[in-house]
Amino acid sequence: MSPGTPFRYPALALLAGLLFAFAGPVPGRSATGQRDAPASPPSGRRPGATALAAPSGRELLFERDVRPILKAHCWQCHGEEDTIQGGLDTRLARLLVKGGRSGAAVVPGNPNDSRLYRRVAAGEMPPGPKKLSARELRTLAEWIGAGARTARPEPAAPSAADSFTDEERAHWSFQPITTPAVPRVKRQDRVRAPIDAFLLARLEAKGQGFGPEADRETLIRRLYFDLTGLPPSPEAVNRFTADVSPDAYEKLVDDLLASPEYGERWARHWLDVAGYADSDGYSEQDSLRPWAYQYRDYVIRAFNADRPWNEFLVEQLAGDELVPAPNRDLTPEQADRLIATGFLRMGPDGTGASDADAPTARNQVIAETIKITSTAILGLSVGCAQCHNHRYDPITQVDYYRVRALFAPAYDWKKWRTPAQRLVSLWSDAERDRAAAADRELQALSKQRQAELDAIVQSTFEREVAKLPNDAQQIARTVRSTPPAQRTPAQKQFLAQHPFVGVDGASVARFRPDKLAEFTKRWDDLIAAAGKARPADRFAMCLTEAPGPLPPTHLFARGDFQQPRQEVAPGELSVLNRAGAEIPSDDPSLPTSGRRLAYARHLTNGRHPLVARVLVNRFWLHHFGQGLVSTPGDFGTQGERPSHPELLDWLASDFMAGGWKLKRLHRLLVCSTAYRQTSRRRSALDALDPENRLLGRMPVRRLEAETIRDSLLAASGRLTRKLYGPPVPVSPDEGGQVIIAVDTRDGSGRPTGKFVPLGDEEFRRSIYIQMRRTMPLGVLEPFDLPPLSPNCERRASSTAPSQALLMLNNPFVLQQASLFADRVRRQAGADLATQCRLAWRLALGHTPSLREVEDGVAFLRDEQAANTPNAEAKPAEVALPALTRFCHALVASNAFLYVE
Amino acid sequence: MSHFTRRHLLAQSAFGLGGLALLDLLRQDGALAAPPKPELERRDYDLKPRLPARAPQARALISMFMQGGPSHLDLFDPKPELANHHLQETKLRFQQDNTEQASQKLYASPWKFLPRGECGMALSELLPHLGQVADDICLIRGMHTGTNGHETGISAMNTGRILRGRPALGAWFTYGLGSENRNLPAFVVLTDPTGIPVLGVENWQNGWLPSLFQGTVIRPREPRILNLDPPAHLRGAPQGRTLAYLQRLNQAHSARHPGEHDLAARMQSYELAARMQLAAAEALDISGESAETHRLYGLDHDDSRDYGTRCLIARRLVERGVRFVQIHTGNQTWDHHGGIQRTLPKVCRKIDQPGAALVMDLKRRGLLDTTLVHWGGEMGRLPVVQNEADIGRDHNGQGFSMWLAGGGVKGGLVHGETDEIGYKAVQDTVNHYDYHATLLYLFGLEPQQLTITRPNGFGSLLDGQPGQVVAKILERPPSPA
Repeated sequence: MSPGTPFRYPALALLAGLLFAFAGPVPGRSATGQRDAPASPPSGRRPGATALAAPSGRELLFERDVRPILKAHCWQCHGEEDTIQGGLDTRLARLLVKGGRSGAAVVPGNPNDSRLYRRVAAGEMPPGPKKLSARELRTLAEWIGAGARTARPEPAAPSAADSFTDEERAHWSFQPITTPAVPRVKRQDRVRAPIDAFLLARLEAKGQGFGPEADRETLIRRLYFDLTGLPPSPEAVNRFTADVSPDAYEKLVDDLLASPEYGERWARHWLDVAGYADSDGYSEQDSLRPWAYQYRDYVIRAFNADRPWNEFLVEQLAGDELVPAPNRDLTPEQADRLIATGFLRMGPDGTGASDADAPTARNQVIAETIKITSTAILGLSVGCAQCHNHRYDPITQVDYYRVRALFAPAYDWKKWRTPAQRLVSLWSDAERDRAAAADRELQALSKQRQAELDAIVQSTFEREVAKLPNDAQQIARTVRSTPPAQRTPAQKQFLAQHPFVGVDGASVARFRPDKLAEFTKRWDDLIAAAGKARPADRFAMCLTEAPGPLPPTHLFARGDFQQPRQEVAPGELSVLNRAGAEIPSDDPSLPTSGRRLAYARHLTNGRHPLVARVLVNRFWLHHFGQGLVSTPGDFGTQGERPSHPELLDWLASDFMAGGWKLKRLHRLLVCSTAYRQTSRRRSALDALDPENRLLGRMPVRRLEAETIRDSLLAASGRLTRKLYGPPVPVSPDEGGQVIIAVDTRDGSGRPTGKFVPLGDEEFRRSIYIQMRRTMPLGVLEPFDLPPLSPNCERRASSTAPSQALLMLNNPFVLQQASLFADRVRRQAGADLATQCRLAWRLALGHTPSLREVEDGVAFLRDEQAANTPNAEAKPAEVALPALTRFCHALVASNAFLYVE
Repeated sequence: MSHFTRRHLLAQSAFGLGGLALLDLLRQDGALAAPPKPELERRDYDLKPRLPARAPQARALISMFMQGGPSHLDLFDPKPELANHHLQETKLRFQQDNTEQASQKLYASPWKFLPRGECGMALSELLPHLGQVADDICLIRGMHTGTNGHETGISAMNTGRILRGRPALGAWFTYGLGSENRNLPAFVVLTDPTGIPVLGVENWQNGWLPSLFQGTVIRPREPRILNLDPPAHLRGAPQGRTLAYLQRLNQAHSARHPGEHDLAARMQSYELAARMQLAAAEALDISGESAETHRLYGLDHDDSRDYGTRCLIARRLVERGVRFVQIHTGNQTWDHHGGIQRTLPKVCRKIDQPGAALVMDLKRRGLLDTTLVHWGGEMGRLPVVQNEADIGRDHNGQGFSMWLAGGGVKGGLVHGETDEIGYKAVQDTVNHYDYHATLLYLFGLEPQQLTITRPNGFGSLLDGQPGQVVAKILERPPSPA
C-alpha cells in the first residue's frame, strides 16, 4: 500500500496480507515499483480440488505431491504427444533427472540448479498464461531440495499410460461403496432415520443441532412441490392439518408417491439429465422429433411404477439388446425396452439436416451421447479425454475410445443412419397387415378416382366440342392432341377463344362446377373412410445396432476423426475397473454385439463405485436443494468432495440393498427429521456454516420454471390433468415471443394470421409442452430453463429483472391471474375477507394471519374505489378487476415463487 | 462534477431521481462528506452507486466483444516481413487448432495498411472509419493470453482466468460500483441477431457473485425486452398500486426469512423492472436521434444497420448512467479458418463504421473522457496459411491486438509489438491480468477492495494473479510510490 491510499477494508487487508505471507513470494515479473504488488488472496482454483497437497512437515513424494502438478501443466508437450518437446519427458522423476536436450531438468537436492524449477519460477514455463501457483512452486522446490524422492521404484516406461499411480486411484469416488456404521449422537430423540444420525453427528461436533420442525402447512407445501411439483389444494391442507393420527405425515407421503403427478415431477429431473428435447438441435433447422415424447412418457411411467433403477438403467442403455430381432410384433414390455434407448438418442443430432457437414455432425452425435451418458450415470466429465488424456482425472484417451467402442455398433459413423432412418415402427404384425391392406385399398381408390376424373374431363370436352361447327370441331381435336409446345400461333389463338379445348383435371371444375363438387366430396369421403382403417403411425426413437460386421473403433489423435490411430476394444474406464470386468466385443449368445448390455449390467451389478453414489446424490439434491456432492455431474478430482462421505455411502448401499427402488428412498429422505426442519436461519449456525452444508435447517428454494407455470395453472384451477401423449406445440408470436400455439407461419416464416385452437391442451403441465432447442417457451425461459447443449446436470436459480417483467406483464400470467380471480369470486362469494383467505390458500398454501387478511381487504377496497369511475358504478363492475390485481400480486410474490 | 453533469442531468430529467439515489450521487461527487463506514462484509446487495477507493477516471465501460478471434495481421498489425516471405515455408512451430489443415506457409495480409490520423497509426484498409478516430484510440499490439481456444480465451479476457464459472467483468464492475441509473440494469448485454457467442450465457454470468449482478440481455430484435409493456388498463397507477401491495407482501415474507439474500434481490428486481418499463423503452428508442446521427452509425446501410443500432443504444445507455455495456458479435463471427478474403471484409463492413461512430459520438457529447471503450476478441490469428483450398488463419493467443479509447486512456498511441511475423507478443506485452488491473485502476478500484467471501477464502477479479497496470497507455498513470 502506498501511503495515503484509502483502504476501506482494513480487516480484509490484514487477512489478505497474512494469506499472502503464507503463500510466499509470487514469482514471475517483479512489481514495476509504482506501488506494491496487490496482496494475494488464495488462488482461484476450484474449492475441493485437493489434488495439490499443501507443503507441510511431511516428506514430499513425486507420485503424491509433484506428479499432479506436472501432469496439469507440463505433460501435454513434455511427454504425451508424439513429439516430445526438447526431448524432456516430465512423466517420471527418473526422466526429469535424466533431462532433455538442454540437460538435466532436476538436480536432486538443489532446486536452483534445476532447470525445471528455474524456468517455471521465472514464469517462462509453461508458455501459456496459466503459471504454477506459489504453492505449487514451493512444493516443487521443497521436493527437489529434499532429494526428489519417489514413493516407490518407478515403472520401466511412462508410456504404460493406463497405469495410474496409487494416489490417483485413491480418489474417494473410485473406492468401493462401503456401508458405514450409523453414528451415535447425543440427541437420539431427534433421529427418525439413519440419515438423521449422520447429519446430526456432524452438527453436534460443531455444537449445533437440527432446527425445530416446520409447521404442517409448511410441510405439506414442501412435500407437494418436492414430490408432485404442484401446490396442495386447500382441502388437502385441511385434511393434513386436521389429521391427528401419529402417521399422518407418512400417509401423506405415501399418497403423494402414489399419485400420477409424482411421475411427471420426477421424470422432469431425469429428462434434464438425459437432455430430452422434441427437436434435433445442432443447426438452425432444429428439425422436430415427433416421436421423442414416447421416451418422455416411458420415463414418467417408469417413475410412477417405481421401476428399480438397475433395470431402468439397463433398459435405457441397452433395451434394444433385450428385444429379439427383428423388432417385430412387440409386446408392450418389449416396445418399452426399445423406447427406453431413446436415452441414447436425446443429444443434438444434426445428421438429418441438409446443411450439416456429415462426418463432423456424425462424430458430434457420438461425442454428445458419451457426454450425456458419462455425466448422467458416472458423474464424470469423460469428454475431456476425447483429444488427450484427461488433465486432472485418471482417464486416458484410450479410455475415452473404449467407451466410444461400446456405442460403435449402433453409432457407426461410416455407415450412418439419420434420425429418420433410426425410427422403429411399433406396429404389431396385425397392424402392419391392416396398414398394408389399407394402403392397397387407398391406392386402388386413388386409381379409380383418377379414371373417373379422366372420364369427366373427356365427356366435358365432347359436350363442349359438340357445340362447335363441324370444321371447327376438327380443329379443336387437332389442337387438343398437339403438345402445347408444338402449337402454332393460330392454334394458340384458337385455344384462347375456346378454353374448353385445353380442359384437364385441374380446370374441369370451371366448366362443370356442380359435377366436380359432387365428385370431390364423394371421393374425399371414400378415401377418408378407407384411411381410417389404417392404424395410426407409432414409432420409437431408439438406438439399435445395424446387422453386419462390427465396425472397428480407432483412437483419434487430438480427437480428429481424420487422424485415426490404434484400434481400441470396448471397455470400462480403466480406473473404475479394479475387478477387471470384460466387455465382450461380440457376445455370441446375442444377435447384437452385446457391448452395451454387458456394460449396463456391469454398471448396475452393485459393485460399481460411482453409479449408486451419483444417483442417490441427485435424488438428495432435489430434496435438500444441493447434493451431498455439490457438483452432481463431476465426481472427479475437480468436483467438490462430499460434505458427508459416510452418509453418501450409506445411502448408496442402502439404495442398492433395497432393490434400487426410488420411492423407498424418497420415504427415507422426506420422513427424516432433517427434512422436516424449518428453513429459519440461526445466526450461530449461519456463522459456522454459511452455505448450509451441514443441514441444520432446510434451505429456501425458488421454484423451477415449469413448477411456476404449473402452479399458476393450479391456482387458477385451469390445469389440464391429462397424462402422456404428443407434445403441445410452441410457436413464435408476432412479437417474437415463443408461446403455446400451432405454428401457422408460411414456408418463409411469415405469419398467416391463422389460428388453430388448442382447447384444454394449452393448459397442460409444462412437461408436455414441446421442448424445442431453438424455441424455449417465453414463460419458462427467464426462470433458468436450461439450454440443452446437450443436457443439464443442475438447474441454475437466478434473479433477473426479466423474471419480474414476466410476472408483471406477460399475457399468460395476466390471463391466469384473471382466471384465478374468477375462481375465487365463484367459490368464495362476495365477502372480501373470505375471498382474501381463499386466494391466499390457493396460491400460497397457507392460511393468512388476521393482519394479512385486513391488509388484503384494505387493498381490495382501495382498489375498488380507485376503479370506480363514478358514484353510480355497480359494485360487480369494480370488484373483479380489484380481485384480479390482488390475485396477481399473490402469484408474483416471493411466497408463491419460493418453497421453504 | 462538470465532466458528467450531462449524464446526471439526463438521468434526472428523464426519469426523476429518488432522494436516496441523489444522496448517493452527491456523496460520490464528494459534495457530501463522510463516505459510508467500511463494512467487513456486505450482507445486503444492491445497485446503488458506490464510491471507489480513488477518484475514478472512467465511470462506464462499453465493450465491443469480437468473439472468434479477429485477425490482427489483417486489421491492426502490419508485418512487412510476411510480405517478403509470402507463401514461403517457416520452421517455426505453431500451436495449431486444426492440425489437419495447418501449414507452415507464411501468409501476408492481402490488404494494405495506411498511416491514419495525426499520429500516423497504421491501420488496415478494411477499417477506413476507424482510421478517422485513430487519434482517439490506443491500439495495443502486444496482447497475449497464451491460450488458443475460444472458451479459454473468452474466459481469460472476460472473467480473468481460462477457467469456467467465474463472474464476468460486467458483474465485477457493477458489484464494485453499482449503477448511476436506478431505472435501468447496471450491466447490459446487447446480443447479435444471428446468435449468441461461444460460451453463451456464461459471457454475462454473475458466477459466484450474487445474482443481482448478472448481465441483463437486451434482445437483438424488437421487442428488445420481452414483457416490457403492461396492458393499457394496468399502465401507471393501477400497476403501481399492485406493485406497492406486492412489495408489502414481500417485505413481510422477507421479515420471516432474515438473511435470505435471494428474496431481497428479487424485491429489488421488481422495483427495477417497474422502472425499466418507462426508462428502457425510452433508452432503447433511437427514433429521436437526428438523421445525421443515424448516418454516423451507418444505420442507412444494410451491412452496418444492426450493429450500428446496437452501438447507438449502447451510447444512450451509458449516457443514462448504465455502468457496463457489452455488445457482442455472433457465434464465431471472427473465426476465419477459411475464406478469409471473402468473409473478413464483410464482417468489417458490419462493425467498422459503428465502432468508430461510437468513439466520435461519445467524444462530441463530452462522454468519452469518462467512458472507456473496448474493442477486441479472445485472440488473434496465425501468420501462416490454414486450408490452402480456401485460405484462412488458425487461432493465435500468443500475440494479438485490441484497442481502447477514452476513460483516461491516451489516444493516438500504439502500444506493444509482436515479433516480426506477428506470432508472439514480444514488446510491452499486455496479458489479460494486466488488462484487468488497468481497468480496475481506471475505475478507481483497488484490486483487494473488489472481493467476495467464498467458502475457501476470498474471490476477486485478479485472484492474486500478477497483473500490472499498463502505465504507458494512461493519461494519468499511478504515481510512483
